[in-house]
Amino acid sequence: MRPDDRRYATTHEWAKIDGDSVIIGITDFAIDELCNGNEGDLVYCDLPEVGRMVEIGETFGEIESVKAVSDLQAPITGEVVEVNPVIEDHLQVLAEDTWGKGWMVRIRSKAPNLDHMLDAAAYEEHVAAAH
Amino acid sequence: MQDIWRLITTWGTSPEFNMGLDEALLLEGDQPTLRLYTWSPDALSLGWFQKATQVSEIESASATVRRLTGGGAIHHEGELTFSISCPQAHPLYRGPVGPSYARIHGAIILALRQIGLPARLRGEEPLTSDNPASSMCFHHSTPLDVAWNGRKGVGSAQRRKAGRVLHHGSIKVSSTPLEGSIATFENASEEHTAQSFAPLLLEHMRQHLGLQLVPSVPSREERELAEDLGARYSTDEWIRQR
Repeated sequence: MRPDDRRYATTHEWAKIDGDSVIIGITDFAIDELCNGNEGDLVYCDLPEVGRMVEIGETFGEIESVKAVSDLQAPITGEVVEVNPVIEDHLQVLAEDTWGKGWMVRIRSKAPNLDHMLDAAAYEEHVAAAH
Repeated sequence: MQDIWRLITTWGTSPEFNMGLDEALLLEGDQPTLRLYTWSPDALSLGWFQKATQVSEIESASATVRRLTGGGAIHHEGELTFSISCPQAHPLYRGPVGPSYARIHGAIILALRQIGLPARLRGEEPLTSDNPASSMCFHHSTPLDVAWNGRKGVGSAQRRKAGRVLHHGSIKVSSTPLEGSIATFENASEEHTAQSFAPLLLEHMRQHLGLQLVPSVPSREERELAEDLGARYSTDEWIRQR
């Protein structure tokens, strides 16, 4: 079971409310789809500049594995206030600590609300259907 | 139930139109689509994340574009290019990326074997075409790449966006000075051009992948979107964005 302290997008991003902002990452399912169990296959991750405004559903970054580029979609609207500096040089952190040190960006939103996203149980069902 | 796909063939279309139409089909296509095409003029395409300054072949290329898909640079000359655009939930692409390559490459391998080329997935053996110092796609290989005679002969890469997939692939009929030491149709039992090989490939895609391919042309809206989107692919701003 994936953590139930956060919500999940059908496009495989996770979002966790932290004070007046939301931390965003991608799920273990997304990582496994891209690198098929070999985290060394992740080669590049392009994340936004701090200060950029993103709209819900907008592409906020891209991740590349040896064989595919995948867009990262913002699950909420707001301003990017922090980008995980570890990822650029240590992509493996996405697989090693997906729910913790593998976060990607922090987005500040006026009224953080993740009710439109899936809870952990619903996401489990979603990925089970995707296989 | 038969899986009905559109089949769009465009021979000798411009680099900008080719990239623009693939993007239009990725963004707007309402039905899975297989495109087969060639390029005129020939062009170098950079992978999405490649740094332009690290691809010296740009200086010698007739034209250059940057693809939406990842991987290394490709010289699109003497090749049959394909693109597939479909929902990520389609059975061919559902799940991890690796097996989706194996499915598509399986059909390509059967078509290549039909013309006497000993094509196979590379597996764990490195290839003589591998060259770590090169920026070209065909000089790098992974276990799921298609190779024959110890060299890579098919290059492919994917883009996954908003629940849809764009899969680009190049099947090499002949090599060029920009992309030497690769597998080609040179030792095939039959002589083929990109266009004459296309029906064989389609037959194996129908049989092996269970696709019903319905010949089609881009709609007026798709052509207009392709032209709008395509115009930026060869601009300096686009090519040198990295």
